[in-house]
Amino acid sequence: MSEERDVHPDCRNASNPYHECTDYCFRVIAEAKLRMQLHHQSEVAQASGGSRREEAIPNELYPDEGTHDDGPRPEENSDSEPDQPEPAQENMEDGSFPKLSSRQKKWMELRAKMQEAKKRNQIEIANEKKRMEPPTESRGVSKQKWLEDRKKKIGKLLDANGLDMTKAYMLDTQEAAEEKYKKWDKDPAPFGWDVFNQRTLYNAYKKRTKNIEVDVEEYNRMKEADPEFYRDASSLQYGKAPKISEDKIDKMVQELKDRDAKRGSFSRRRKFNDEKDVDSINDRNEHFNKKIERAFGKYTLEIKNNLERGTALPD
Amino acid sequence: MRICGGAKNKNYGPIQITAEQIVREARELEEIHRHRPPKQKINDGTELGEYRLRKRKEFEDLIRRVGWNVKVWVKYAEWEESQKDFDRARSVWERVLEVDYKNHTLWLKYAEFEMKNRFINHARNVWHRAITLLPRVDQLWYKYIHMENMLGNVVGVRRIFEMWMEWMPERHAWLSYIKFELKYKEIQHARDLFERFVLCHPTVASWIRYAKFEINNGDACSTRNVFERALDKVVAAEDDEEAHKFFVAFADFEASCNETHRAECIYQFALHHHVPKGINC
Repeated sequence: MSEERDVHPDCRNASNPYHECTDYCFRVIAEAKLRMQLHHQSEVAQASGGSRREEAIPNELYPDEGTHDDGPRPEENSDSEPDQPEPAQENMEDGSFPKLSSRQKKWMELRAKMQEAKKRNQIEIANEKKRMEPPTESRGVSKQKWLEDRKKKIGKLLDANGLDMTKAYMLDTQEAAEEKYKKWDKDPAPFGWDVFNQRTLYNAYKKRTKNIEVDVEEYNRMKEADPEFYRDASSLQYGKAPKISEDKIDKMVQELKDRDAKRGSFSRRRKFNDEKDVDSINDRNEHFNKKIERAFGKYTLEIKNNLERGTALPD
Repeated sequence: MRICGGAKNKNYGPIQITAEQIVREARELEEIHRHRPPKQKINDGTELGEYRLRKRKEFEDLIRRVGWNVKVWVKYAEWEESQKDFDRARSVWERVLEVDYKNHTLWLKYAEFEMKNRFINHARNVWHRAITLLPRVDQLWYKYIHMENMLGNVVGVRRIFEMWMEWMPERHAWLSYIKFELKYKEIQHARDLFERFVLCHPTVASWIRYAKFEINNGDACSTRNVFERALDKVVAAEDDEEAHKFFVAFADFEASCNETHRAECIYQFALHHHVPKGINC
């Protein structure tokens, strides 16, 4: 039923089938009504005409309430009744104005609150569902789900701007676009046996040498002190090493310790999924199963599902 | 009636059990029946000695069993290091190097052990042995150089770099040496190094690198000299992509010297000899 949508008939986007009125819409409607009302009042001669119109307008707004079951609605109706006969004829013009907006304001506030509450409830329901259910990865489809979610989100935004899926890049901000270009220009990071190739070793060495301070005066001093400063590989002074100050040694030790600490952060501990099926009798067995899953999981997914089901699918 | 070999009653049993249940029970029973030795605190020297004896026996048994597995050796050596018994640790490292000297990670870990515990000359010995035995493993060279650099022993660094360059290593090694010289502003040295570099790696990229260095650190005359020498090599090289880059670099340099006529000549020459794609005059 199309009546189930939260669309105000006077909303300017009412013709859009996907539009749902929010408090912004109601504000716009109210302002439009006010403007129209003022316009009418300025046209029509005097007060008598104004009061009738003022009665008429709130009634227009109320028929929409038929779509919600509201407790506060009837008491507001009874509330507004005594208001109506009150304002005297003279201050119809300015009396009606704040009265209208106050009633409207109340109505709009309540409505906004309800919408807000509805929205929040929905979000909470979704979150709780996600939390309560164990991550239903069911062996290997979580990444697909993430991709689908992302596509859906982008799809919504695209529809809002009237774009096509192929023009998805138009949603990127300038910074995001620049980062993408940088990523394209960079070579992909090496993995597997190639991790310590020439280039990465060189980069790692470069990075570590950045921390070393270049002390040009000490360098010059050493140059003066040592006659054979520019010795080459086959120099006869092979065994002699200069006196090294303690703080240099300290710095070196500290750097080694920092590197050690950094090494620990290269692989993270995964969360233990205790809702997952137990398929090992042992810790060693569990470790083995993890390794096997990593290697062959994606190939045996179908077979596993068939076994679980009991029969194979006729594909 | 005795049922041997074939069950007569082929109905389902009244109580069924799933495989998962069996496995779960196995897991839980294992927890229950696991007997760990009681946690003991070490109170004095004799207890410490006993603990160490026990651990050493375990480690020695382990390496007797799986001597081919480097990990157990490393664990043994690191445990000795943690017990601050450096001579024993050294002996363990030497034993494992007897087993497998080709494993560069062993050398790295051994040298790091010496460095972390401030035995600089020991570390130097280890590094020197490592680079003598495994000269083509760049990591060893880099780390040795880095150690001497951290210690401020510039002479030592230069010596190691010279030893390395004798082996004609990859481009990156040369570049790191040149960077080191440039850090201390030894321009003439760097120039000599670049000469050797383009001899060792006579590619267009190396020449471009040399030329860029001259643009940054030299005068126009020497730069032009470099470009002209490179020209013959580039023409002979027949590598269009690199040649394209070279010509563009050369022409840019001439343009920056306000020698537009020469720049034009270069472009003409380039177009005449090669047909590079997308060159923009």
